Amino acid sequence: MYRLEAKKPSTCSSDPLSGERARASLAALRGLLTSCYGPAGRLKQLHNGQGGSVATTSQSAALLAGLPVSHPTVKVLTAAVRNHVACFSDGGLFTAILCCNLVENVQRLGLTPTTVIKLNKHLLSLCTSYLKSEVCACRIPVDFSSTQILLSLVRSILTSKPACMLIAKEVDHISTLILRAFLLTIPENAQEHIILGKSIIVPLKGQRVIDSAVLPGILIEVSEIQLMKILPIKKADSFKVALFCVSLSGDLSDTGEGTLLVSYGVSLENAALDRLFNLGKQLVSDHVDLVLCQKVIHPSLKQFLRTHRVVAVDRIGVSLMEPLSKVAGTRPIGSLGSISPSSYGSVKDLCIAKFGRKHFFHLIPNKATICSLLLCNRNDTACDELKLTCQTALHALQLTIKDPYVLLGGGCTETHLVAYIRHKTRNEPESFLRDERYSQSELQLTAEAFCSALESLAGSLEHDGGEILTDGKYGHFWSVQANLPSAVNWPDLPSRCGCGLYSSQEELSWSFLRSARHPFPPQTCLSLEATGSADTLTLDCFTAKLSGLQVAVETASLILDLSCVIEDTN
Amino acid sequence: MAAAGSVTVALHVAEVLETIVSGCLGPEGRQVLCTKPTGEVLISRDGGRLLKALHLEHPVARVMVACVSSHLRKTGDGAKTFIIFLCHLLRGLREITDKEKDSFLFENIQTYGRHWKNCCQWKFISQALLTFQTQILDYVMDHYLSRNFLSIFSSCTKERTLCRNSLEMLLEAYFCGRVGRNNHNLISQLMCDYVFKCTACESRFEEVLEIVDDCFVELKVSVTGLPVSDSRNIAGLVLQRDFSVYCPADGDIRIVIVTETIQPLFSISGSEFILNSEAQFQTSQFWITERTKAIVKHLQNQNVKLLLSTVKQPDLVIYCAGLNGISVVECLSPEELSLIQRVIGLAPFVLPEASSQYELSHTALVKFCKPLILRSKRYVHLGLMSTCSFIPHCIVLCGPVQGLVEQHEDALHGAFKMLRQVFKDLDLNYVMQTSDQNCTSGPRIYKNSRESNELPKSVNCSIQRSYQDTVVKNKGELAKTQTNLKVCSNLIVPSIKLEKNVLCSTPKVAVTDSYQTDEALRCSSPNKGRIMDDHEPFIESNSANSKTENTRREISYENLQVKKLATKDSILPLRYKSIAMCSSQSYYFSSIPAGCVLPVGGNFEILLHYYLLNYAKKCQQSEQTMVSRIIANALLGIPKILYKSKKGNYSFPQVYLRALQALQTSQPMISNQTGLESVAGKYQLLTSVLQCLTNILTVDLVINIKRQPQEVDDQDSEEEL
Repeated sequence: MYRLEAKKPSTCSSDPLSGERARASLAALRGLLTSCYGPAGRLKQLHNGQGGSVATTSQSAALLAGLPVSHPTVKVLTAAVRNHVACFSDGGLFTAILCCNLVENVQRLGLTPTTVIKLNKHLLSLCTSYLKSEVCACRIPVDFSSTQILLSLVRSILTSKPACMLIAKEVDHISTLILRAFLLTIPENAQEHIILGKSIIVPLKGQRVIDSAVLPGILIEVSEIQLMKILPIKKADSFKVALFCVSLSGDLSDTGEGTLLVSYGVSLENAALDRLFNLGKQLVSDHVDLVLCQKVIHPSLKQFLRTHRVVAVDRIGVSLMEPLSKVAGTRPIGSLGSISPSSYGSVKDLCIAKFGRKHFFHLIPNKATICSLLLCNRNDTACDELKLTCQTALHALQLTIKDPYVLLGGGCTETHLVAYIRHKTRNEPESFLRDERYSQSELQLTAEAFCSALESLAGSLEHDGGEILTDGKYGHFWSVQANLPSAVNWPDLPSRCGCGLYSSQEELSWSFLRSARHPFPPQTCLSLEATGSADTLTLDCFTAKLSGLQVAVETASLILDLSCVIEDTN
Repeated sequence: MAAAGSVTVALHVAEVLETIVSGCLGPEGRQVLCTKPTGEVLISRDGGRLLKALHLEHPVARVMVACVSSHLRKTGDGAKTFIIFLCHLLRGLREITDKEKDSFLFENIQTYGRHWKNCCQWKFISQALLTFQTQILDYVMDHYLSRNFLSIFSSCTKERTLCRNSLEMLLEAYFCGRVGRNNHNLISQLMCDYVFKCTACESRFEEVLEIVDDCFVELKVSVTGLPVSDSRNIAGLVLQRDFSVYCPADGDIRIVIVTETIQPLFSISGSEFILNSEAQFQTSQFWITERTKAIVKHLQNQNVKLLLSTVKQPDLVIYCAGLNGISVVECLSPEELSLIQRVIGLAPFVLPEASSQYELSHTALVKFCKPLILRSKRYVHLGLMSTCSFIPHCIVLCGPVQGLVEQHEDALHGAFKMLRQVFKDLDLNYVMQTSDQNCTSGPRIYKNSRESNELPKSVNCSIQRSYQDTVVKNKGELAKTQTNLKVCSNLIVPSIKLEKNVLCSTPKVAVTDSYQTDEALRCSSPNKGRIMDDHEPFIESNSANSKTENTRREISYENLQVKKLATKDSILPLRYKSIAMCSSQSYYFSSIPAGCVLPVGGNFEILLHYYLLNYAKKCQQSEQTMVSRIIANALLGIPKILYKSKKGNYSFPQVYLRALQALQTSQPMISNQTGLESVAGKYQLLTSVLQCLTNILTVDLVINIKRQPQEVDDQDSEEEL
């Protein structure tokens, strides 16, 4: 029922960040997200007391979608992160935690928002221009001649989502599958513009992860009863396909706005059915082997086609239409009248496959960039999580094709950036203070807040109470186990840095993360030998992380700039 | 329930609003977060939007918000300044009333009586304000302020060539007050590029701005989830939908527009189709199919490669188009259609009645037509070949959250509105007395008034009766004619429209404020005494009342000339009729030429403040002097807020002093600000505020009605039936 009511006046509160409530909710969100971050992150269980499914997750996409948020500033933050995830799939937690850290750190500073926002912008552009520059030591160009880097990227994404519940062997298997599925979507003879195909993810619950597979072509799920009706498929080199987007149920489509008067005894249904049979006859005479229909096929027509040994599958749904037309290499037919022979497509083979308890109708194309990724996992929630992770990984691979770089993961990019910023702001502050009226101390304070936000982001990768060290040469991230016997000389212990690029045999000067140390220029210009020597690296998607960094700083500036909140209470 | 409308109440309301909007004013202003009932968040610094989001209940506040939104509809700028200026004006007025309170205290009057009396006084003031707005303001603008105007056009000739540099400065200043402080550079640069890219010929900016302003929604694409720095301009038109069929084609592409389904229907509205047999049904279906194919084939023969449709086409049409290599875009909105038609001047394709083949006349060429993918959403990207001065481009606005993107959209749209205003001349007209002494030297006849000597109690009754229709009449009359000359009786204020240039007796506005220096005021002024000797007792009492405490107007900055004038304000509602010869008044018509700008940072306000004070000094009519002073002082409120956070040499007193010194020595004012702002916009703002203030002042009583909103009643009654 629609009712027009006078609107209640809104409530207006000034300085939204200074309140205790705002601070508490921001801290709560940060704590929640930080505990999920990284391969060792803790899982969260989302459930509704009234029933429904329970989701176990540590991904920002699933987490923020289900999280009720009341405070307006936190709403802005979560909205920004969700939009980022919708664009790039990856880097949601990174963005959210960095943004929270920035807001909290800046608030502690006590500088005016104007100054901080301007300086943060400068620091951000320092970071982005460094990350995009050739001398950047945390960016690796992707070598497409080998699968090593791409595989490492996929592995890193998979391992950073512990809710997928994969063991090491399964991670290897799934990451190979994802990479293979991705490679299948790349057209063979690429011209200037590559149009990537599509990997359709088909989740299968309750199966072993090892049973997951990549199949070329499309899997259409069919029920067992439907399957009984489909005759044993004859063997042939190629099958002729007719793909319909109109309904073949014999309904009378729109007749116009006027009235339609039907004389007594005239049956339009029969007329429509006659028309369908004519169509069927044409299909049979054109030697069509397979009829696919987005909507419904009239049972009589189905029967007719079956008697003529034509396989008919209906109710395909609009989402599969585009990949299907690619597989068959044709456009959907929108006419019930005469069909031009050019609108038939063909597939190489069709067969019936059974995976788990489900039956599928499998279309194998001659040459198309469509494949199906069959994902199995033990239970519902792990399967959902795995599906989401695979989508993320596929998306990250697509983004990597566009911009062929990857960033070092495992906290190394962050600590390296911190070293770079500290060095720049301490030794070359002129470049920041050139045209603005800021003092050196304001710059130092803001830069320190920015750096410590990045550092605590890197530090939140460690959940088991371990210590985090950085080295004085590369500025990388090294984690040490907690509760070490004091007798051991602990700086000798870390064997590899967070990303796995460097090992500790070299002479490095260690220091604790977040401890005061003299700024040093981190070694720039990554040597290619180093990347070649390390076998497994932890890598991040370049585009997603760069954009995440920008979004985090921009959103933090936005939140810091708020002077009051007007809440509509209607 | 009725509540007395008074300046104090209005001031309270305005002050509350001021605290909200003043935080967002100027380049140092901060953002406000609005949450919608749906849970979405909106980031805004736009005064109009904030005021709307507050859902104010207070009647005076609602009047103010209504005034602001009508002002915004006209100019697209200045909502925050509106509130601040209004607040300062009200403050100025209250100061005067506080001083004048005693002069209205008749010992035997009752509270209600005093209220009515007060209202009466407000009405006089509001009339004085109107007179100011219609006469003095235009005069001051034309005579004094215009000396300082700059122009955004690079040459002063008829050809208005826009100077890129000035446009950048103008936009920069506009966006400084509208979007977040780390984005305004980017957005203003984006818009500047956009304007220059879209304009085919430098002298035809106005047309371009008109199209962009009208069709802004169709010319922008918003993308959330990307950083703001990814915003950009792209050539061509982006339609916010995907192709129904896309057939890649190279070279110039011929397009047609259709507004109806190509497939014929069984029956059109209002007709009847009689089916007598199944065969007939099948034949007609066959005919429909064949006919559709024939039309699409015909289009293909004419080399048409793209079909734009305002309606959804049946599957058959899509299928046929795909077979014939024609791309189809369906469901264009009427706005998109009208934009495309404006740009390429293409009329919709009319389906041929018979299947006879004839030349298609309604086709046009586009340079390209391809899908555009933004954030994994597909759009149609058309390279229209423009036939007018507008070369289509689209603005892609990115931002991490929807609320921010919306803010940028609003700001851009407002900027186009503002630019349109800049390109318009603004008419000024005013009456100037050829001899300044006209008012005092002209023959004055004190008209005997029935009421003037009667007891206030009886007066009240007559006011009560006559009040309402007077106000209504007043308003209508004022809006329509802007008559400058009114007769002003003590109680009833009919506005009389006068025929100009005819020798006639001119009723004159008569809110007399004796605004004099200490010394002059001690006694009842001699000329008054002379004029009104037949009403000696009445005048005596008035002048007795006017001997109020000597209050000093606080003008906080030393070394000012203003300060020397220890003023004593008294408002004496008198009624007299002045007969002036119309021939002694001349009407001036002038204008603020298009493209007039002043540097930002309160320059307009300080200049106008200075000239108004100068004018007030010269002015003989005391009520005008008072009004000018109030307005002049209220104007300073805006630069005060703008310079609030600045220190040392850039603090407000310093800036103000430097400006005054420069003005007194007739040197150009040096501004440390780089932006520009439109004079016409500021002028319109000033007049809108004054109109709003008169609106508020003329209302004496707010009556709260208990009736439910009409819509609810209708809904309920329908359901019961």
